[in-house]
Amino acid sequence: MAFISTGYNPAKPMENRITDIGPKDYHDFYPPVIANNKGKWSHHEILEPGVLVHVGDSGDEVYTVRVGGCRLMSTSHINEICDIADKHCDGYVRFTTRNNIEFMVDSKDKVEPLKNDLASRKFAGGSNKFPIGGTGAGVTNIVHTQGWIHCHTPATDASGTVKATMDTLFDDFQQMRLPAQLRVSMACCLNMCGAVHCSDIAILGYHRKPPMLDHEYLDKVCEIPLAVAACPTAAIKPSKQTLANGTEVKSVEVKNERCMYCGNCYTMCPSMPLADTEGDGIVLMAGGKVSNRISDPKFSKVVVAFLPNEMPRWPSMTDAIKKIVNAYSNGANKYERLGDWAERIGWEKFFSACELDFTHHLIDDFRQQAYMSWRQTTNFKF
Amino acid sequence: MATLEFNGKTFEIDEDGFLLDYNMYNEEWVEYVKGQEGIDEMTDEHWQLVKVLQDYYEKNGIAPMVRVLSKLTKFKLKHIYELFPSGPGKGACKMAGLPKPTGCV
Ligand code: HEM
Ligand code: HEM
Ligand code: SF4
Ligand code: SF4
Repeated sequence: MAFISTGYNPAKPMENRITDIGPKDYHDFYPPVIANNKGKWSHHEILEPGVLVHVGDSGDEVYTVRVGGCRLMSTSHINEICDIADKHCDGYVRFTTRNNIEFMVDSKDKVEPLKNDLASRKFAGGSNKFPIGGTGAGVTNIVHTQGWIHCHTPATDASGTVKATMDTLFDDFQQMRLPAQLRVSMACCLNMCGAVHCSDIAILGYHRKPPMLDHEYLDKVCEIPLAVAACPTAAIKPSKQTLANGTEVKSVEVKNERCMYCGNCYTMCPSMPLADTEGDGIVLMAGGKVSNRISDPKFSKVVVAFLPNEMPRWPSMTDAIKKIVNAYSNGANKYERLGDWAERIGWEKFFSACELDFTHHLIDDFRQQAYMSWRQTTNFKF
Repeated sequence: MATLEFNGKTFEIDEDGFLLDYNMYNEEWVEYVKGQEGIDEMTDEHWQLVKVLQDYYEKNGIAPMVRVLSKLTKFKLKHIYELFPSGPGKGACKMAGLPKPTGCV
């Protein structure tokens, strides 16, 4: 397409420039029933999976229908969301903190037509466009990252692993049969954008090979002290290298026995790439939570050291996740989050219940704090 | 990667218009970048900032932190933006010939 100006003048970039206006005020987008009852809600109820009702002190009711969203979506999909909101909800709609979509109506008789409309919409391939669910003690949307769609440091894909996992756990998105809600999160490298470090189950992209060094360009495109300081295990030191043509250049040296492939150095220095088809894969973690309900918030712990990247459906990964979810739903008491359950029965029982192998990779060896994760007691089960 | 001709000088640059090698820097480069970065006229203050970045990079092998740059030049961040509308990284470091900023930028 030929160039079409918005009115911006590249010769005078600062002229008519609008800045620091911030986001729009959320009050502008409240449905009237929300605006009228704001701060005066009496109680709420989950009527069925995906459908909530909130009752105001005034007696006003607002019914919310929550549907799954793929997070990465086209403008035509957003237009369709807007069409649904126009048709049923006077043009109002919201997105949740787990990237589900919520349609709200102000009376009970509007709920069924909305639900029927949502449930009827499918993509040509057959998948639901707007599956209803994600409430109560079930599995809701997977918080995830960019993967091979857009980032340069991933060790796996985000959208692909998430679709495969949600397909496997889909029944639990539309039911509330678990002991408590189960949060699954995904991050495609251990920068952990998102919530993997604090989720019931977490999928994490992982490398297994040290970085390659492009000595010819390293000093030109990298600030060497930053690459050295990026390493958590001090595996990197500055060094002089001689190129094939005899020139001596500044670069770095990596002590491979000290490297644990975090990829931090590549984040800081483009001449230290480490992504690798066979080397890269997935780590699973479990037992994290952010709420203060009964037990304090917890970090998730590594429970599977490595699973290969098996595009496009990651079967070994979804099998392992399914085993964890089944063992948890069979074993945990009501209200117990996955981490509460694992701590109550003991992690040695968690591994046997989930039929997961325990390997030496799972034993913490990072700095002094690792000591605290070993067992300093005779209390254990055979 | 591309090769750029400007006022009789050649520069190797990346897709964001950063110099691929600090040693290629010369004053023609400033002329070229200033057009791209919304700068009409290079003032003494512009030059002062460029020189501080270059001295710091030559001595330390890294670009200074923003607070250090502010302290060394005595320019507040607001003033740095007045001089270089794209900011200290994309504007000033590019013009000074420093490597492209990395990390989660
Ligand atoms: C300069 C003098 C001493 C040094 C450098 C020293 C050093 C150590 C070290 C390094 C340990 C091992 C800690 C660990 O496993 O993490 C230890 C344990 C121990 N030391 Fe000492 N020690 C000294 C004096 C003493 C004295 C005078 C006693 C008793 C009267 C004593 C009794 C013990 C005991 C009972 C343990 C075992 C503690 C446990 O199992 O947790 N030590 N000592
Ligand atoms: C009849 C008397 C005693 C019995 C039955 C006894 C029994 C034991 C046992 C079973 C342990 C091992 C605990 C474990 O599994 O880690 C132990 C450890 C220990 N006992 Fe005794 N004990 C006796 C007397 C004493 C006395 C008199 C002292 C000191 C003056 C003492 C100092 C220790 C210490 C320091 C340890 C820790 C050793 C280590 O850290 O490896 N015990 N005792
Ligand atoms: S988790 Fe890592 S690879 Fe994924 S988006 Fe974040 S930084 Fe990029
Ligand atoms: S990948 Fe991580 S551990 Fe290995 S050298 Fe780079 S920063 Fe250090």
